[in-house]
Amino acid sequence: MSAYFIEARDFEPWVDGLRESMRVIGPVAKRKKFVFAEIESACDLRLDYDVTILPPKKVFFPPKQQILAFDANSVSDCIDPVPTVLLGVHFYDVKGLDMTDFLLRERFEDWNYLAQREATTIIASNVQAIGPRAFWGSVGTEMVPRGHDAFLTRVCDGYVLETLSDKGEALAGLEKFRAATEAEIAEAEKVNAEVMDKCSELMPYSSREIATRVRESFSNEELWDDLAMDCFSCGSCNIVCPTCYCFDVRDSWNIDQTTGQRTRYWDACLTREFAAVTMAGGQKENFREHHASRFRHRFMRKAAYLHDKLGGPACTGCGRCSAACTANIADPVRVINTIMGVEQ
Amino acid sequence: MSAENTAHDNLFLPREARIIRTSRPTPSEKHFTLQLADRSVLDFVPGQILEVGVMGYGESPIGLASSPTRTDSFDIVVRTVGRVTTAINSKEVGDSLWIRGPLGHGFDLDELRGHDVLIVAGGIGLCPTRSLIQYIEDRPEEFGRFTLFYGARDPLQLLFTEDRVEWRRSSKVDYYETVDRADATWTGNVGVIPTLFHKTQHIDPDTRVVICGPPIMFKYVLIELDKLGIPRENIFVDLERRMKCGVGKCGHCQINDKYCCIDGPVFTFAKIWELEEAI
Repeated sequence: MSAYFIEARDFEPWVDGLRESMRVIGPVAKRKKFVFAEIESACDLRLDYDVTILPPKKVFFPPKQQILAFDANSVSDCIDPVPTVLLGVHFYDVKGLDMTDFLLRERFEDWNYLAQREATTIIASNVQAIGPRAFWGSVGTEMVPRGHDAFLTRVCDGYVLETLSDKGEALAGLEKFRAATEAEIAEAEKVNAEVMDKCSELMPYSSREIATRVRESFSNEELWDDLAMDCFSCGSCNIVCPTCYCFDVRDSWNIDQTTGQRTRYWDACLTREFAAVTMAGGQKENFREHHASRFRHRFMRKAAYLHDKLGGPACTGCGRCSAACTANIADPVRVINTIMGVEQ
Repeated sequence: MSAENTAHDNLFLPREARIIRTSRPTPSEKHFTLQLADRSVLDFVPGQILEVGVMGYGESPIGLASSPTRTDSFDIVVRTVGRVTTAINSKEVGDSLWIRGPLGHGFDLDELRGHDVLIVAGGIGLCPTRSLIQYIEDRPEEFGRFTLFYGARDPLQLLFTEDRVEWRRSSKVDYYETVDRADATWTGNVGVIPTLFHKTQHIDPDTRVVICGPPIMFKYVLIELDKLGIPRENIFVDLERRMKCGVGKCGHCQINDKYCCIDGPVFTFAKIWELEEAI
C-alpha cells in the first residue's frame, strides 16, 4: 500500500501511544533470551532480538486455552478476543502464522484461533540479529511472507513502515509518520535483502526435491532408526515449532464440583502416547509405537504431507527445534541434508 | 458429506442429547438410544461418527449404530475402556450426553447402490456397520444381494441379540456368524471371521465389501477378498484411531497425510493400501 517513515526518537512514543488504545505484544528480554510478551513500556521492546523462545503463534493459540465452560445444565463457549497489536514479528514467524492461519481455517474453521487472529494487527519487523541455529535463508524460499498488516524496517535514522492492509494503514495515521522517501525505501529493501544470506546453516535443495525425497525415504527403516537414535520422545521440537498445532483436550472441575471447563493444551506427536488408543481390557493399540516412527512422522508432515497443501514446507527455518532438542538431533538441516545425501 | 462448519461457531460446542433407552448387551458395552434435546433430527450418513462426551470427563469418538432412515432417535454403543467411556456408561435413561457431529466421511452409499454388498464386522466393529445394515434393510430395493459376516471372541461378546435373531430369519440378508472360542452353549460356527468365506458360495467379484473390526482382522479378510478377485476400489474399510477433536485439527488420528476423523473413518482400500501406517 504505502511506505512511511518515523524518526528513531519518535518511535517509542508512538508505541506507547498504541498501548493506550489496545494491548501491544512484542519481543522483550527474558534473561539472556527473548519472548513475546505484553509491552508495559515501549522501552522494554527489543526489536534487536535474534529469535524468541516460543513463536508468536501463542497469541492466537495459547499453550493452554479454555474452549468451553460448563455447569450442571449447560455448556457455553469462551471465544473472547482482545484487540491487539502484535509488533516485531520476524518474516519467518510471519510465514509460520500464515500457515497456522490456513490450517486452522481449512475445511473446519476454528474460531478459538481465528477470532483472536482477526482482532490482531501484525507489524512485522526486519531481522536485526540472527539466531544461532537459523536457516531461514535457504528453506521454503518460494513461500512469500503474508498475512501481516505492516512491515517495519530499522534504517539509520529511524524506521520505514510499509503498510500492507487497511489495519496496517490505520497504524500510520498518526502525526509522527511522514511518507518515506525513495532513498529510505531503497535502504529498507537493501537491509532486508542482505540479511537473507547471513544464516550459518544452509539447506541447499528445493522444497519440491526435499518433499519427494523425504516421501521416498519412508520405508528406509535403517535411515530413520539412525536419525532418531537418541530421541527421548520429549516433544520439545513440537512445543517450540511455529507450525505445530496439535493439541490435547482435557476437562477439569471447579472447586464447587458442579461447574468446570474444557481446555485445550499443546500436544506433541513425538511423545509416546500420542497415537495410542485404549482398547478392551485397558490394552493400548499404539499406531506409532516406536520413537523412530514418531520422529519420521514429524519430518514427513513438515517436509512432505503439508507441502502440497501449503505450497511449500511447513518449516520456517527459525531453528528453534534445533536449539530446543534435548539430544541435539532435531535440527532439520542435519536431517534433511542426510536424507538428501542417501543413495536411494 | 454433510455439515462442514461455515458460521463463526465454536467447533467444540456440543449439543445436548437425551438418553431415552439403554441396554447392556455385554458387561463392558452399553447401548444407548438418544434424541437431541431440541427435538431436531440428526442427519447423517452411515459410517459417520459422533464425539460423545460427559462434561467434566471429556469426549470419545463413537460410530453411529443406527440408520438415518430411522429418524425418531439414534443409537450408539459404548465400550467401557477408560475414564470417559466409564463416565458415559454410568449415564441412565433421562440423563444427557453431550455430542458433536455427525463428523467424518461415512460409507459411500452411491458406490454401494445397485451392487451386491458384503459387510464383514468383527467384535465391536458391528456397531458402526449396524448403521449401514439397517439402512440396507430399510431400502433393500436400492441394493443387490446383501451378505453379513459377524464374529466375536466368544458367545458372551456377541452384540445385538434381537437383531441377530431377526437377521437369521430375514430374507433380506444372508447372515453368517462365528466365534473364535465356543462355550458349552454354542452350537454355531467356531473359528475366526475369514473362515466364514468358506461357508458361502455366492460372493460375486463385483460385490462391494465393507470391513470393520480389530486391526488384526483386516489383514486376513483382505487376503480372502483378494482370492475372490474383488478389486481394492470396491472395498471400504472403517478404521479406528484416536479421533480426539473430530475436525481434522488436533493431529492424533493422522494416518500418513490423512486425518482419520475427516478423511475417514471410512476409506476405500484403494485409497489407503499404499499408505504406510494405515493397516
